[in-house]
Amino acid sequence: MLLLVVIIVSAGMGAVRLSFGEVLRALLHPSAAGDAGVILYTLRLPRVLAAGLVGAGLSATGVLFQGLFRNPLADPFVLGASGGAALGGAIAVFLVPSLTFAGFGAIEVLAFGGSLLAMAIVWSLAKSSGNFAMENMLLAGFAIGTMLNAATAALALRQEETNPGMRILTAWLHGEVTVPSWPQLAFVAIVEVAALLFAMPLARKLNTLALSEEYAAQLGVRVERLQVIVIVTGSILTGLAVSLGGLIGFVGLLVPHFLRLIFGPDHFRLLPSAALSGAVFLILADTIARTAFAPSEIPVGLLTAFLGGPAFLYLLNHRQRSSSL
Amino acid sequence: MSAILEFRNVAFAHGARPIFDNLCISVEHGETVALVGPNGVGKTTLLRLAAGLLCPSSGEVLVRGQELERWSRRQLSCAVALVPQYLEVPFAFRVEEIVAQGRVPHLGFFGRLTKNDIEAVETAMDAVDLLGMRRRVFSELSGGERQRVKIAIGLAQQARLMLLDEPTQHLDLGRQIELMGLLRKLVQRGITIVAAMHDLALVREHCSSAILLTPQAPAMAGPVKELLRADLLERAFCVARPSLERYLANEASLGAAGDGLPTAPPDADLTNDEATGQRRKNEPQEYRERLWRKDELLRCREYRYYSRHPRSGHNWDHD
Repeated sequence: MLLLVVIIVSAGMGAVRLSFGEVLRALLHPSAAGDAGVILYTLRLPRVLAAGLVGAGLSATGVLFQGLFRNPLADPFVLGASGGAALGGAIAVFLVPSLTFAGFGAIEVLAFGGSLLAMAIVWSLAKSSGNFAMENMLLAGFAIGTMLNAATAALALRQEETNPGMRILTAWLHGEVTVPSWPQLAFVAIVEVAALLFAMPLARKLNTLALSEEYAAQLGVRVERLQVIVIVTGSILTGLAVSLGGLIGFVGLLVPHFLRLIFGPDHFRLLPSAALSGAVFLILADTIARTAFAPSEIPVGLLTAFLGGPAFLYLLNHRQRSSSL
Repeated sequence: MSAILEFRNVAFAHGARPIFDNLCISVEHGETVALVGPNGVGKTTLLRLAAGLLCPSSGEVLVRGQELERWSRRQLSCAVALVPQYLEVPFAFRVEEIVAQGRVPHLGFFGRLTKNDIEAVETAMDAVDLLGMRRRVFSELSGGERQRVKIAIGLAQQARLMLLDEPTQHLDLGRQIELMGLLRKLVQRGITIVAAMHDLALVREHCSSAILLTPQAPAMAGPVKELLRADLLERAFCVARPSLERYLANEASLGAAGDGLPTAPPDADLTNDEATGQRRKNEPQEYRERLWRKDELLRCREYRYYSRHPRSGHNWDHD
């Protein structure tokens, strides 16, 4: 409900301001909407919905990965997804800008592929080193992510200063929600909703996993299988989010923590509420990002960091007092 | 004949360090078996093998006469409950949420708790006196309270075979006695108990038989009285004979006094478990346990005498 209101309000915000009523009318009677309809259907709505999908995907992945690693500091990018996506994005901008695939642009495709590839590499590294330990994965994720970020920086430095791609890449690296086409949006939405529904039974098992891997095994959970499925699901959600919104930090880390304060740590309740609140949060943040300094935009990733930083510090402080997060 | 748990020629190694090379033991239905042995001898490993968490490198483990590989993981979890030594839970999970995890092997695909499951969780919490703290956050509980939560998880699992790894660890004297009474009640209901224990007085009083693990020697099983003899314990725990005999005599007299006079123990004793719970590794713990008893503190000097005894290779002087 709140999500719907937020969508309608923020769809009205922008260079041409539309009232709540106008947006509602245009939504209910698309053919009779005129200019407002054109603005809504080609620009505002796709962007708002994309922001919602990105926020939902990142927050849900945050819940999944924090539960999987039993670590409150885990976020969607712990497995090196950001590094892979960044390199993919850089390659797309500088080397193959005209690539398209099934209606998706070069950045989207390569960022999605890059993030999945990075996570696959991290995973196989952690697996091949004998014991399949979660700490190994975190460390390998950090190492691979750093290497890929270095590669991205090297690639960017080789470009001419005047290359317009530089600006695009910089903005994208700090998180900027694109205006996707409708088929693109539909594709992402379907995959994301399917992944979230699929993840719901996993969330219950994450509650058991919280007791430790061995305890969960003793209670009949097939731990390795659960880990693989959660990682694959989370990777797909992250890849989709990155392809639409670039690298948006803090959402996947913070939204789950705030909801834990409200709903408690039960992952089964946390997952859907994190997806919804993540969507609401990122739609609001993106609306501010594109309207606050209009006509120029600030990358929404910077905004979430500005909002998220103090919020996170508050949370840490709060945690010290109640010693329970 | 009706062994609920059986190890047949089991070998197991942690990496390059062999733990068991040819372990043969069996536990009958309805027994209360104490697993006794020094730190690091493989008590926890034995329990993990029995719960199917580890696979033997050779030989086989049978539960109710059936090899572990032929059990499905879920069925095995309904039949065997392991209460491990440690439990750490991230995030602010509440006691009741954690105890409810014991029902996981019994749940259907959607993982919803039925009336039956809720009743099992309530009973389990009631049995270890957790109902009053069901809404507390687990990570804020004391060591003894956490211990009770772990046991409640095992009870909620409602398995016929319960494996407990040092169940009296961190418990105060009253809770230790209560727990042993609870285990006795479970045995009366037909549940078999295998518990790694360090407190020989409790073992003597409550266990029907024992398994004694000695480093570099075959495991021995038998009735408690036959197994917990000074000569066998001396070898298993590498402890000087005079100190051991003193310990055993003291423990026996305590047991006798306890039977006759229901006197309240001195206050100092109630905190002892916390102290021994933090004992250093590889230190014969009977010595430590004894040391912290009030009357024993006065006898420390005698221990020091033994430490300088030329035939005793042990150095107690670090205390």
